[in-house]
Amino acid sequence: MVTHEEVQKLAILAKLFVADEELDKLTKDMEEIISFADTINNASVEETNFDNINGLSNVFREDVVIPSFSREDILKNAPDNDEGCFLVKKRG
Amino acid sequence: MAVKGKIAQYSEMLKNKDISCIELTQKYIDEIQKCDDKLNSYVTVTPDTAINTAKIVDEKISKGETLGLLEGIPMTLKDNISTKGIKTTCCSKILDGYTPIYDASVWEYLKNQNAVLLGKTNMDEFAMGSSCETSCFGGAKNPHNINYVSGGSSGGVASAVGGNIAVYGLGSDTGGSIRQPASFCGIVGLKPTYGAVSRYGLIAYASSLDQIGPITTTVEDAAIVYDAISFYDDKDSTSRGKSSANTIDTLKNDIKGLKIGIAKEYFDGIRDDVKTAIEKAIKVYESLGAKIVYFDLPVLKYALPVYYILACAEASSNLGRYDGIRYGFKSEDYHSIHEMVSKTRSAGFGEEVKRRIMLGTYVLSAGYYDAYYKKAQSLRGNIVKAFKEAFNICDVILAPTVPITAFENGHAVSDPIETYLTDICTVPVNIAGLPAVSIPCGFGNNGLPIGMQLIGDMFCESKILNAAWQYENTTGDDVFKSAEMGVKL
Repeated sequence: MVTHEEVQKLAILAKLFVADEELDKLTKDMEEIISFADTINNASVEETNFDNINGLSNVFREDVVIPSFSREDILKNAPDNDEGCFLVKKRG
Repeated sequence: MAVKGKIAQYSEMLKNKDISCIELTQKYIDEIQKCDDKLNSYVTVTPDTAINTAKIVDEKISKGETLGLLEGIPMTLKDNISTKGIKTTCCSKILDGYTPIYDASVWEYLKNQNAVLLGKTNMDEFAMGSSCETSCFGGAKNPHNINYVSGGSSGGVASAVGGNIAVYGLGSDTGGSIRQPASFCGIVGLKPTYGAVSRYGLIAYASSLDQIGPITTTVEDAAIVYDAISFYDDKDSTSRGKSSANTIDTLKNDIKGLKIGIAKEYFDGIRDDVKTAIEKAIKVYESLGAKIVYFDLPVLKYALPVYYILACAEASSNLGRYDGIRYGFKSEDYHSIHEMVSKTRSAGFGEEVKRRIMLGTYVLSAGYYDAYYKKAQSLRGNIVKAFKEAFNICDVILAPTVPITAFENGHAVSDPIETYLTDICTVPVNIAGLPAVSIPCGFGNNGLPIGMQLIGDMFCESKILNAAWQYENTTGDDVFKSAEMGVKL
C-alpha cells in the first residue's frame, strides 16, 4: 500500500513538486506500477553479479589536455547567466 | 515482387543524373509540407540545411566526383539525437529553447557524408512511451491509417519513413523504440548490439539499454545505414564499434541449414492474427531450407518488470540534470533553490516522465534498493545467460515484434500498465544487449501491418540481416505495402 506521505517523500527526493490535487491519481498510479514491479519478488533465480552488458572495463586515458567547449558556448543555453557564470537569482 | 531498396536506387539516379540532388530534396520538402499536417511526424523541418547540402552534392556530381552511398539521400533524425545549431527537444517542454552546441557522433559522421537532413522527428517525451503520444507536440500518426498511432518511442521517424517523407531515419531503442514503431508502420527497424553504435550525443534515457539504429523501408537500406553508423568512438565509453565485416557483404547469402529458434514464451498472449502471420513466416523459412528449433526461455516472464525497474532507475538519475539552471525551461515561480528546481521539473516534464522518475527514485531509495534494483540486476544476469544458452542451439531467434498491431489514437495513454505489457517481446533484447531487426510480415484483421523480429547473438547483425533479407526477398509485396502518400519516384 502506497500512502500520500510516501509519494510526497519520493517527490522531494526526485525534486518534483506534487500539487495536492495531483496526489490521489499519482498515488494510485504508483501503487499500480509498484505492484507490477513486485512480480520479481518471488522469482527464485540464481544470484548473478551483473555488472555490464558488453564485457568492457574502465580504462583511464592519458591525462592530456585537449580542446573543449568555450565558456561562451556552454553558457549559450542557460536561462540566466552573468559574468561568465550560470545565474540563479536569489529570492524570498 | 521483391521490394526494392531506396538508398542504392536513389544513389544510382543521382550518379546517372536522372534527378539532381536539389530536385530530389525539394520533392521531399514539398511532400513534408503536404503530408505532415496529417502525420505530425516532424517537429522541426530544416529545408535550408537540406538544400545547402544538396547543392554541395550536385556540385560534386557535376565535377564527376564519386559519391558515397548515403551522399545526397534525404533523411531524418529522432529529436533526441543532438544536432549542433538545430534545436533538439526530446519532445519535452523542459528542453524548450535548447540548441545543442555539438553533434551526436552518428550525425557528425553522416553530415560529413553529405546526408541530407530534412528535419527532426517526433517521439515520446524522452523516449518514454509506446505510442508517440507522450510527446509535448502530440503524437505522430500511422501512415497506413491516421486514426492509429505510429508507435513509440521513435514514432516520428517510423511515420516519416513509412509515409515516404524521408528515405531513412535514425531512431533510438531502449525497450523497443525502434522495432515497435517500425512494426506498427510496416517498415524495417534495426536495434544494434549494445556498443555497436556510439551513443555520444544521444540524450540519455536509460544508458545501459539505449542504442541508436536505422529505420528504413527495406532490409538492404537498414544494412547500408548500419554499416555506416557502426564505428568505434572514444567519446562513448561503452563503444565497441563493428566487430565484423560489413553486413551488406553477406546480406544475400543462402540460409540453407540456418538454425532458427522459436521460444514459446514469445507467443503467450499474442493476438491470433499476429500469431498466424508469424507461423506463416516460419513456413517461409522452412521453404528456404532453414531448420526450426523449439526451446523454452522461462526467465522471459520477468523481462518486463526487470526492464521497467532498471530503465526507470537509470532515468531517474539521468534526468536529474534538468534543473533549469544550465539549459532549457526554467520556472520563475520560486522562493528557494529547491522550489525552483522542483517547480521547473514539474512544469517541464510530462506525466509519463514524472511517473518513471518517481518509480526510479522509489526502487533506488534506501530500504527498497535490494528488493527491486539489486534483484532486477541479478535477474538481468539470468536473462543474459539464458540467451547465451539459446544461441548454443540456434543461430537466430524469431519472434513477434509486438503482440498486437498499432493502437487507436488515445488508447495507450489511458492505461499505462496495459501499454507497458505490449513491450513484452521487445524488452528482452535490450536487457541482454542483443541486436534485433523488425521486418514486416503481413497485415492484421484491421489491415494494419504486423512485424516480426529476428534476434541475434551479440555483434551478429550480419546473420539477422541476412535472414531478414531472404524473407523479404521471398515474400516481397505479399507482406509489404507502401503507404499511399509521400514521394514516389
